[in-house]
Amino acid sequence: MTPETQAAVRAGLRDSLLIVLGYIPFGLAAGAAMAQTGVDPALSILSSPILFAGASQLVAIQLLGTGAGVALIVFSVAIINARHLLYSASLEPHLADWSRGQRMGAAFLLSDPVYALAISRFEREGGAGSRGAALGYYFAAGLTGFVGWAALVAAGVYLGAFIPTWVPLELAIPLTFLLLLLPLIKDRAGLVAAAVGGLAATIAHPLPFGAGLMVGAVAGLVAGAIVLARTTGEAE
Amino acid sequence: MIALLLSGLVTYLERAVFLISKRVRPPKRVLRYLPLVGPAVLGAIAVPGILAPRGEVSLLETVPAVIAAVLGALAWRFTTQVVVGLVVGLGVWWGLLFGLAQLNA
Repeated sequence: MTPETQAAVRAGLRDSLLIVLGYIPFGLAAGAAMAQTGVDPALSILSSPILFAGASQLVAIQLLGTGAGVALIVFSVAIINARHLLYSASLEPHLADWSRGQRMGAAFLLSDPVYALAISRFEREGGAGSRGAALGYYFAAGLTGFVGWAALVAAGVYLGAFIPTWVPLELAIPLTFLLLLLPLIKDRAGLVAAAVGGLAATIAHPLPFGAGLMVGAVAGLVAGAIVLARTTGEAE
Repeated sequence: MIALLLSGLVTYLERAVFLISKRVRPPKRVLRYLPLVGPAVLGAIAVPGILAPRGEVSLLETVPAVIAAVLGALAWRFTTQVVVGLVVGLGVWWGLLFGLAQLNA
């Protein structure tokens, strides 16, 4: 491992640990909510390594608890996790020189925070460095998040009832995503995409299956694309 | 268990489709808009959580969270450290919530 790769691995660990800290309230709360469904705790805990996507895990376990059919559960999870299609397309140019096996591994870890960390890193000035450094950063951040998330949910399943509710931490996750978003806004189109995406997601928040997030993302993309097409004078 | 495994498979395919398939490509004219995915999706995650940190848009909930987010963003701007922005933002938010609780008491 070159010193550059070692530094990238350390940076990935550090950045991801910070995010795991921010996820403590959500992870514990999600685990506690799953424990209340009456579904076998082992299934709730296993949902982390199988799905690695908090909101969809919660919905899947809650649906299991109500005795919903396999088709409804799989369909709901597919809708909630559809945003990962965008992550996949967005990261592809940055991972083009990785081997097929590396990209398959990367896809497994491609959750919201891992995408946010990776895209901030890859699109910063100077990029993510050499191929080894990019790989080191991605997998260090991804595996830290994976293990941290699984541990938080498992802790929530068993300890949920004992968690004090007087420490408000709800702002930690949106604030973290805001801070990862800011460096990605490089022009007016990016600003419009973020602002419209955020406001549309807020308005669409009451939609079922967490669809508000996807509505917001698509609205932001369209608005940003219109601005981009205009500012570059290549409107199609 | 089958439902979970199938859900996991579908989620994996959604994550992997553009990363591992050489044939499935985003259309060419879409490619130049891909850099907007990050801002659009992260905005859609961050903004609702800031405008309604506890699920409700209201003066007492929204204003302290927005002030905290702005000051956290400024702290990040000056230090370029995410952790500084996070600590400042959360600290300001707790301070404002505590102050409001005292006023109401």
